[in-house]
Amino acid sequence: MGLDYKLVLWNKHKKKYDKIFALSIVLYLVLFIVLTLLLNPEGTAETLIIRAFGSLAILMLHIILIIGPLCRLNPQFLPILYNRRHLGVSMFLAALIHGTFAIIQFHTLGNTNPIVSVFTSNLDYGSLTNFPFQVLGFLALLILFFMASTSHDFFLKNLSPKIWKGLHMMVYVAYALITLHVFLGAFQQETSLPTIGIMLVGFILVSGLHLTAAFKETKNDNIKKKKEEDGWLKVCQVREIMENRAKIFTVNQERVAIFKYQGKLSAIHNVCKHQGGPLGEGKIVDGCVTCPWHGYQYLPQNGQSPPPFTEKVATYELRVQNGWVFIKPEAFPEGTEVEPAKI
Amino acid sequence: MKQKDEFYIGYVEDSVGNLTKKSLKNFVLFGIGFLILGALLFGIFQNTASNSSFDFDSATKVSGVYHEMPYPMLQVELTEGIYKNVVLLGFGKFGPNPYLKDIRNQEGDLEGKHLTIEGNLIYYNGKTLLQIDDGQKISLTNSKRTKSISTESLGAISVEGEIVDPKCYFGVMKPGYGKIHRSCAALCISGGIPPVLVSDDPNAISDYFLLTDLKGNPIHKDILPYIGQPSILNGLAEKLGDWHILRIDVSQIRKLNKESSIY
Repeated sequence: MGLDYKLVLWNKHKKKYDKIFALSIVLYLVLFIVLTLLLNPEGTAETLIIRAFGSLAILMLHIILIIGPLCRLNPQFLPILYNRRHLGVSMFLAALIHGTFAIIQFHTLGNTNPIVSVFTSNLDYGSLTNFPFQVLGFLALLILFFMASTSHDFFLKNLSPKIWKGLHMMVYVAYALITLHVFLGAFQQETSLPTIGIMLVGFILVSGLHLTAAFKETKNDNIKKKKEEDGWLKVCQVREIMENRAKIFTVNQERVAIFKYQGKLSAIHNVCKHQGGPLGEGKIVDGCVTCPWHGYQYLPQNGQSPPPFTEKVATYELRVQNGWVFIKPEAFPEGTEVEPAKI
Repeated sequence: MKQKDEFYIGYVEDSVGNLTKKSLKNFVLFGIGFLILGALLFGIFQNTASNSSFDFDSATKVSGVYHEMPYPMLQVELTEGIYKNVVLLGFGKFGPNPYLKDIRNQEGDLEGKHLTIEGNLIYYNGKTLLQIDDGQKISLTNSKRTKSISTESLGAISVEGEIVDPKCYFGVMKPGYGKIHRSCAALCISGGIPPVLVSDDPNAISDYFLLTDLKGNPIHKDILPYIGQPSILNGLAEKLGDWHILRIDVSQIRKLNKESSIY
């Protein structure tokens, strides 16, 4: 958490994270370049750069895309999510080098503006195998540019988390465009089974993990809650919630986290105001509900971030009866003080 | 229970529990393994380039008889009675005509005159081309016209292959053919570089054909939709020294729905 904006709020974890992936990128590039120089010595430097950075970008995108569902399936992977934006910006830079060199190589020094040429030099838009695949890569690069250039808490706050999240969910559109760009472009010419195979395995991995994570959450959302006559919902037994932890329930189509701490229970809206992290997968640390994604904190009894921070989430009323927890499905306005239910 | 108690907060030092550390280690190993596997597969199974050459960093002076049949060329005498036709090209994705403008204005029609041009050589598989990057590097060495150069008619033929731009195909880009290169080839040919059919039939009378229309005039824009795709072309073949020319009706080109195999 931070009150003012700095380019990067460095800490020990971020430095270690960046070192590991920077070394991995260098390892990839060195290995690819050495193999190319040995096995394809007649190739040009431009082709080498286009191939090295294009293939690096797409492999990095697969790694980035599996982080989200892995964290939803197992919170032990959350430290990888913490600094994912550095990985994303690095992937964009690799894609930018690929795209820039491809435009310089194939579209400059001609009788048409290079960007116009990307769209007009092949007009077979009605054909699948002859489709102008460069257009798909160019559009994906634009999306990645908007994502990378807004990958900072300044834009998150000023665009509003909802718009920011929507913009960054465009990564899936970029992934679809890039996959088509590769299959309708390079793979029309580079038809070896192993290279096509690694892309297919990557696609299966990304889609499989997303579907598994979605299935897990849907199962949780569909748990039937018995409604009592007076409007309270019976959700679980007190002993089902661990100390300083929460259980998540869906009431009135909203996910709510019920926390147990110091002999009390409090319920707040499950969505963190920072990036929409699942507060119910967080923990009470120093008396505050702490988001598992980036450590944003809220007081459980009123949903307010401790001063000087100003974030607020909705709160809910709870009741405990014969070891069972009951919740009033109607949310209080964000930041409303609610007396915790005593166990 | 112990597993659940581990809780990571990015800005708190040493908040990574043992089980989390193990998961992170597994992820890092997977990520590095995925990148190494990718580098091996993409590196080993990529298409290799031909041994074509482009002397982009060194200039060569080439002297010969200028002719347009219909594309600008220099007929260079290698040894007595042995000639090579060097195809002239411009800088970037342009043909040679913008660079020949000044000397045409000074000397008039260049057909049959002896020129010396300093440019960058492009060569592969017996064919030579010359990139001109400055009109000032063209000089008239002999204004006396050599008798006109003629072609030999070889009759109607059918050739299967791919239409490329010869500048990239014969050395500037590797690969200079196929779908990835198609946009570049279209720009080159629309910029005045002659279209060349590369045959993938080992029994064809030549590996390469300069393409013209049925009257023997240059074709550029009309042929753009057919570039970079395996096709069958029917036309009248002619021999022009070490090059072959194929006179075609562009509308009769038939695209083949198959992978290119011209290398």
